[in-house]
Amino acid sequence: MANIAAQRIKREFKEVIKSEEVAKCAIKVELVNDNYTELKGEIAGPPDTPYEGGNFVLEIRVPETYPFNPPKVRFITKIWHPNISSVTGAICLDILKDQWAAAMTLRTVLLSLQALLSAAEPDDPQDAVVAKQFKENIDMFQMTARHWTNVYAGGPHINTEFNEKIKRLQDMGVDDHQARVALSSYNWDLERATEQLFS
Amino acid sequence: MGFELNRFQGEVDEELICPICSGVLEDPLQAPVCEHAFCKTCIHEWISRQPTCPVDRQHITSAQLRQVPRILRNLLSRLSINCDNAQYGCNRTLKLDTLTSHLEECEYNPKRPLPCEQGCGLIIPKDELKDHNCVKELRTLISKQQQKFNDFQQELTEQRFIINEQKRELQLLKDFMRAMRISNPAMRAIADAMERDEVLRWSNSLTRARVTRWGGMISTPDEVLQLIIKRTLSEVGCPSHIIDDLMENCHERRWPPGLCSLETRQNNRRHYENYVCKRVPGKQAVLVLSCDNTHMSEDMMVEPGLVMIFAHGIE
Ligand SMILES: [Zn+2]
Ligand SMILES: [Zn+2]
Ligand SMILES: [Zn+2]
Ligand SMILES: [Zn+2]
Repeated sequence: MANIAAQRIKREFKEVIKSEEVAKCAIKVELVNDNYTELKGEIAGPPDTPYEGGNFVLEIRVPETYPFNPPKVRFITKIWHPNISSVTGAICLDILKDQWAAAMTLRTVLLSLQALLSAAEPDDPQDAVVAKQFKENIDMFQMTARHWTNVYAGGPHINTEFNEKIKRLQDMGVDDHQARVALSSYNWDLERATEQLFS
Repeated sequence: MGFELNRFQGEVDEELICPICSGVLEDPLQAPVCEHAFCKTCIHEWISRQPTCPVDRQHITSAQLRQVPRILRNLLSRLSINCDNAQYGCNRTLKLDTLTSHLEECEYNPKRPLPCEQGCGLIIPKDELKDHNCVKELRTLISKQQQKFNDFQQELTEQRFIINEQKRELQLLKDFMRAMRISNPAMRAIADAMERDEVLRWSNSLTRARVTRWGGMISTPDEVLQLIIKRTLSEVGCPSHIIDDLMENCHERRWPPGLCSLETRQNNRRHYENYVCKRVPGKQAVLVLSCDNTHMSEDMMVEPGLVMIFAHGIE
């Protein structure tokens, strides 16, 4: 790893660890390997959002050319959000692309991602299905996102109705995640989800 | 890239840290309006990718980068840093502004250039001394120089070829001009100028001669002697348009008034020393060209000059 990238990451790693956000358990970062090329990040779902109470794990890869190029970040924890792919966890956020600036740090990246969870931008989507739901049926979107937070990120809100529908599909031999994706995509319409799964 | 923070003694102010590499600023430059400071190499690297300030993304270009204020430079130069060679045993702590001069002479520098004392005398990095083999190094050196020598040889041959081609071309051009000058006055002027330049260049290529015995001058050289001198002139590059005149002028019948008779020669003898003479290689003769002797009075010179042949006394 280039000297400058290693020097930066070491310092930023310390910066995050010492930050007040860590004290408040809002963000966290851990080393995955000894040479600082890969890290594991964690952000808490912001209050008053469907993500509240959840913990979201991120994969952070530091390129050789860091900080002249942004780190490559994606969600490991499955999440229902217009700007994050529900399939791959890929993130659509300008500062991770062309709006990156060399003075930004791991801490600013994690805080920006947290802000993204509070303020989605459905007009610049990463996941078209989620974005459509967000724009057309915000209540449905919030319930779905809250359910995903409960199942994948340890959020507190259990949705028994949704769980039962998933159970029905599971009984038909469908894997629970597949069932959840199908139901989420069809606004929890069991009939249409079944149709899509078996067509 | 900046200096690693852990090389410094005591706290380093946040202002002195480069936001790009997070080291202590090295050769800092600042952005024009926001005045954010960065290491020179760091900010150039960033701007080559994106013309913005890395902190606030204001538009900036390399040309707009400025020196940081003296106060900042002073703060930096006062910081105490350990030597780059600390890991090799150097325990010196230096002010940042004396680091460079210390590094040049730091004896712990594994790359410090030292002369080999086993005979070859080459300058080698200290850490390569133990595996150093004089014969091997010298062999490589010789083969490199042989290669260079061959390259030069090759180039010389090519250049010679080109020069000969150009000489040929030049000769054709001169012939062409000579043919033209008769009918065209402008061409005549150019041709005259070219011929004057040619004589001057030739004169400058000859070495000065000193006549020790003016009395040995032959005033009526015979045909054979004249032919020998003429051949030599031609060999040393005498321009063809003056060679015949020069040779004609070696005989007293063509000498200027101040030299043409025994009597005038005797009268003007004291002026002889003022002639600027050029050697005719290997011969007891000198060239007195009018372009070298504009300082001489008119009755002592003749165009385009004259050859003086002596029995002896030329140095
Ligand atoms: Zn720097
Ligand atoms: Zn700035
Ligand atoms: Zn030293
Ligand atoms: Zn040697």
